[in-house]
Amino acid sequence: MVLESFLDQPIVVALAVLALGLIVGFIVGRINEELLQAAGVSEAVEGTPFERSAQSLGTSTVKIVARLSSWFIYGIALLTAIHIAELFPAEAYWQTIVTFVPQLFVAVLVVLIGFVAADKAELATSEYLRGVKLPEVSILPRIVKYSVLYVAFLIALAQVGVYVMPLLILLTVYTLGLVIVGAFAFKDFLISSAVGIYLLLNQPYSIGDEVEIGDRAGIVQEVDLFVTKIESESEEHVIPNRVVFEDGFARVRR
Amino acid sequence: MVDVDDMFGDLFDDVAAVVLFSPSGSLFERLSRLEDLELIVAGTQNSVGADTFIELPIEFQDVSERVRFGLEGGLEKGILEDGDTLACATSVFGDGIDTISRVRVDGSGELGLYNLFAKSRADPDVIKSVLELAIELGKKGQKGKPVGALFVVGDAGKVMNKSRPLSYNPFEKSHVHVGDPIVNVMLKEFSRLDGAFIISDSGKLVSAYRYLEPSAEGVDIPKGLGARHMAGGAITRDTNAIAIALSESDGMVRAFKAGEIILEVDPEAY
Repeated sequence: MVLESFLDQPIVVALAVLALGLIVGFIVGRINEELLQAAGVSEAVEGTPFERSAQSLGTSTVKIVARLSSWFIYGIALLTAIHIAELFPAEAYWQTIVTFVPQLFVAVLVVLIGFVAADKAELATSEYLRGVKLPEVSILPRIVKYSVLYVAFLIALAQVGVYVMPLLILLTVYTLGLVIVGAFAFKDFLISSAVGIYLLLNQPYSIGDEVEIGDRAGIVQEVDLFVTKIESESEEHVIPNRVVFEDGFARVRR
Repeated sequence: MVDVDDMFGDLFDDVAAVVLFSPSGSLFERLSRLEDLELIVAGTQNSVGADTFIELPIEFQDVSERVRFGLEGGLEKGILEDGDTLACATSVFGDGIDTISRVRVDGSGELGLYNLFAKSRADPDVIKSVLELAIELGKKGQKGKPVGALFVVGDAGKVMNKSRPLSYNPFEKSHVHVGDPIVNVMLKEFSRLDGAFIISDSGKLVSAYRYLEPSAEGVDIPKGLGARHMAGGAITRDTNAIAIALSESDGMVRAFKAGEIILEVDPEAY
C-alpha cells in the first residue's frame, strides 16, 4: 500500500521519466555516433576548418552531432519531468516550450551542417580554381563559403521563428545580382571558352597552320581557352575564340 | 682587427650601392635600417621584399657568373649605370653571405644572358623551366646514359613552318605545358627521339620529332659543335625563337638566340 501510494506521487514518476530520458538519450547519442561513422561522415568532413577547430577542442563533428541528439532527448525528458511534477502550472507557457525545443534543435543542427557544408564548398571551389594563378580568384571560394553560411543561418532563423523576410529579400537580390553580373560581364568569356574547348579538343587548326579569320590572316601562334593568337608579317592578332565561330575561318593551303 | 679594417676598408670607398645576392631576411632588415646606403637585392626570388630587385633566372653556382648576370640585369633595368662601382655581397662557401667583392659595372662586355630571359618572345618562366629541364637531363641522362636534346622555345608558328615531322608527333592533340608535374618525366622519355622539341610562347609542347630546316647562312657558332647545335643556332636566326641544346658528347647546355651562343653551362656544376 505504501509502495503504491509512493509510486503515485508525481515527483517519483517525474524522476523515473528523467532517468529513462537520460538513459535513452545516452544510447541514442551512441547509436547516432556509430551511424554517422558508418555513413562516412567523418571522412566527408575531414579537412574542413570546422572539423579542425572541433578537433582542436578535443572533439569532432560526428561527436558534436551525436551529443546534440542526446541533449535533445535529455531536454525533452527534463521538460516532461517538470510537467509531470507540475512545477509549472501555466499551460500556455508550456505549449510554447514544447513547440520551441524541437525547432531549436533543428536550427542548431542546420547551423552545424551549414558550417561544414560551407567549409566543404570553399575547399572544393579553391581546389577547382587552383589551376588559375590569379590573386583575384582567391576571393571566389570565400564568396561561396559565406553564401552557404548565409543560407544556413536563414533556415535556422526561420526555424526558431525569427522574422526573416528582409533577409530573404536580401538573399534574392544578391543571387539575382550574381546571376546578372555573371551573365553580362562574363558573357563573352563564356562563349569564347565554350568555343575554346571545341578548338582545343578537335584542333581544326593548330600551331603553325596558316589561317584566315574574318579579314585577318596569319600563322597560328597560340590557341588557348579564350583567344587564338595569329601572326602575320607585321602584326600579331589576338582574336577571341567567339569571333572564330562567328566569322568562321579558312585554312590557307600551300 | 682595426688593422684589417684599415687594410680592406677602402673596398667600400665611394661605392654607389651594395648588391646583396639572396640575403637572409634578418641581414636585409639590419642593412636596410642604415641610412645613406643604397641596397639592391638579387636572387631567384624577392623573398625579402626589397624595393630594388634584380631577378636571377637560375642559382648560378659560379660566383663571377652570378655577379655578372646580376649586374647585367641591373643595367638592363636601368637600376645601375655604366661605370658605377658596387660592393657585391654573395655566398661562395656556405649558405649565408660570406664574400664581398668590389665590382665596376662595365656595359661593354655584354653576356646577352639577361637578354635571353627578359627580352625573348617566350615567357621567362617557360625559358627558365626548359633550361632547368635541360640541366637536369644533362646531369642524370636517360637511364644513366648521356643524352642529347634540342628545345626550340617561342615563335612556335614560324618554327613549325620551318621544320618538318620526322615521324608522328607524340604531342598531337595533347595539351601539356612545360612546368606541369608529369611533363619532365615525359620529356626525358621522349628525349631519345631524334629531332627537336618545339615549345610555344606560353609553354605548350607543340611537337617532338621535328627536323628543323632553317637556312644556316651566317650562323656564327664555334666549330666542333654538331648538327644539333647548328640546327638550333640557325633556327634562332631565322625566327624569333630561342634554342636550348643539350650536347650528347660533352654534356654541356647551350642556349642560342639570334644565331649566337649566349649561355653555356655545365650541368655537373649545378
